[in-house]
Amino acid sequence: MLDPSQLTVHALTLRQLASADQIADITGQTAAEAEAALDKAVADGTVIAARGSFMITPAGRAQLDTAYPEAFAGLRSDPAVNAAMDSFEAGVNQQVLSLTTDWQTIKVDGQPVTNDHGDPSYDGKIIDRLGRVLDKTATVLNPVTAADPMTGRFVDRLGLALTRAEGGETDYVSGVRVDSVHTVWFQMHEHLLRLTGRERPQ
Amino acid sequence: MSVSAGFRWLVVPGQADTEPSRDLVGGKAWSLWRMRSLGLRVPPAFVITTKACAAYFANGALPDGLAEELAVGIGLLEAELDRSFGAGPRPLLVSVRSGAAVSMPGMMDTILDLGCNDEVERALAAESGDAAFAAEVHRRFAAFYGRLVLGSTENLEDHPDTATVRAAITADTGRDIPTDPGQQLRAAVGAVFGSSRSRRALAYRRHYGIPEDLGTAVTVQAMVFGNLDDDSGTGVLFTRSPVDGARVPYGEYLPRGQGEDVVSGRVTPKPIELLAQRAPAVHAELMTAAERLDRHGRDAQDIEFTVQHGQLYLLQSRPAKRTARAAVRIALALVDEGLITPAEAIRRVSADQVRTLLRPVIAPGADTGAVLAASGTAASPGVAAGVAVSTPEEAQDEPGSVLVRATTSPDDVHGMIAAVAVVTEQGGATSHAAVVSRALDTPCVTGCGPGTVDALTGQLITVDGASGRIYAGQLPTTAVDETRDEDLRRLTAWAQAGSPVTVAGSAADAPEPVFDADAIPPGQLGEDLPAIPPGTRTVTGALFTAPDGVRAAVAAGVEVIVAPHRLPVLLAAVACTERTP
Repeated sequence: MLDPSQLTVHALTLRQLASADQIADITGQTAAEAEAALDKAVADGTVIAARGSFMITPAGRAQLDTAYPEAFAGLRSDPAVNAAMDSFEAGVNQQVLSLTTDWQTIKVDGQPVTNDHGDPSYDGKIIDRLGRVLDKTATVLNPVTAADPMTGRFVDRLGLALTRAEGGETDYVSGVRVDSVHTVWFQMHEHLLRLTGRERPQ
Repeated sequence: MSVSAGFRWLVVPGQADTEPSRDLVGGKAWSLWRMRSLGLRVPPAFVITTKACAAYFANGALPDGLAEELAVGIGLLEAELDRSFGAGPRPLLVSVRSGAAVSMPGMMDTILDLGCNDEVERALAAESGDAAFAAEVHRRFAAFYGRLVLGSTENLEDHPDTATVRAAITADTGRDIPTDPGQQLRAAVGAVFGSSRSRRALAYRRHYGIPEDLGTAVTVQAMVFGNLDDDSGTGVLFTRSPVDGARVPYGEYLPRGQGEDVVSGRVTPKPIELLAQRAPAVHAELMTAAERLDRHGRDAQDIEFTVQHGQLYLLQSRPAKRTARAAVRIALALVDEGLITPAEAIRRVSADQVRTLLRPVIAPGADTGAVLAASGTAASPGVAAGVAVSTPEEAQDEPGSVLVRATTSPDDVHGMIAAVAVVTEQGGATSHAAVVSRALDTPCVTGCGPGTVDALTGQLITVDGASGRIYAGQLPTTAVDETRDEDLRRLTAWAQAGSPVTVAGSAADAPEPVFDADAIPPGQLGEDLPAIPPGTRTVTGALFTAPDGVRAAVAAGVEVIVAPHRLPVLLAAVACTERTP
């Protein structure tokens, strides 16, 4: 396990330039815990602070790279986690990225065109399939979630993004500046890669 | 079929009936009623009301009398189509769909082909002369039923035949599909009711403050088949061209085809003119229906239809997908035809669509003789030129650069926001880099191969995200001029009239104080938008040309947004005035 301070530094590799509240939202710490942890990280030189926002330093990255193998030794040697990650990469990750693409782009006469969200039944079908894939993700990642609460937190945040997308807030599928399904998924993917020490596959 | 009297739990949306209550029958059945009330033929249907759903939850089981009414309802469909539920020689199959008064995600979607069993499969094979089709109907039904009614989480759609689907369901759930079609129907209705309180449906309602006990109606509709004989077929019809918006019906027809054939691309359909030659009366009826749906829907429609034994059935009509150019043309045509007002027209075209139209393309002929520096997958359209940099920090520090990475991680998002284009060595059209670039409307080419970063860094390059090509140097581009295009000019005038802010092409007469987002050092910008200082009257900068920037400016009460292209900003501002999720 990472200590609370390392956990906030780690969160800054998933979201660059974030406030203590935003970090707490990712790690599941309370705002006060995150602030205290970030203050310690700033004192250690692993994080720099500027006008209420925090950024990781090169020293912070180096410290994490040293800390990961020990912090996640149990997880990395667990065959169930390894199998879960294989399934994640080959299955639900591909499905989420391809559904997000279908969400952004539709075909008109064979040509890709930006989805104007004018067809609620098209959008509805994608959101419905996303819902099923997210349900399946929770199942696939069970072995990871059991050992790492932050992964479970990602699964919950994905559910919240989906709920907002279901309510017609179309930004919440693939928007970049909000915690959309894709934003949270991208963060979770990076989190899982760092946790397990895997390379990003393509 | 206007026999709706005498039912306690059912409504039959007949042609002559008065408008049914949406609360009672749900949105889907209501739109069936609407099609019927326009004099259009839809496959016969009946609805189990939301009252029955409430009773189901009160009882923990289907309410008394519902089973009998379902049998009577099925009898009506049998009589209208002269087919039999669960038996040959002409078997009746039905679809079962959920439908609440307000959109409610998380509920069970559609079960098709309900009423199938071994005997029905044989009858359908004999009737259609196509054993493979009958087997496919049975297999698909089994997969639907297993997933939606029996709750199997296996990938049932991947199994080759009914026997293996059933074996997978039994292995997963310990249950099997009943052969009695009446029993199938009752279980499906119960499953639809139950799904209205699924975990996701409840989460959605809690978030949006919709009463948690709001139930659903269930629509049961006869399936029609386009592959029964030479007088059968299936097709789609667009009331206007989805490519350029021209007021000419455009469609495809597949004789002896079933709906899935056209959608799957397994078979190439013929132009709709074939139907005019083969069955002029059916074609004429379809054209009349299309005209009525277009006018009544006040928008270009995409209509799915099936011809069964020479009889036309309309399956679905919805607003058609369209290119950006067609969206503009159709909105203006609808105003000129007196169907919508200019105030509505500016809500029919999105800022994104206009941005697409105004996107520069490489000038004709400019690519001949140009040096191809790299190429990959066209992942996000648009053309941009800049110096290639290899880290997100450089992309932020040097505005106007092209970010070139082996692959992208969340660490790169700031650099991607700052860059004019994104190039990666690895990944395809569905990689994270592609998804983020499309969301940012930034040109992107992925999968250019190992060594691309080293080869391009430091060079001036032109990225064409539509073709996936990257050229050395800066190639000339051309773009549509919004002030010279007649359609865009009219739309701009209407949009300015309906916009809460003025959008100016230059800062010349803009009222002070002015807030310039481009003056903020990029390193200080996160994923969040910068705060607009109180009292600001004018904003300018690239951030305020994107929809979220426009939303922030409108929320801050600024008077003027300065943007080189006015129309997309105006449309985004107009869209802010109606957003009340």
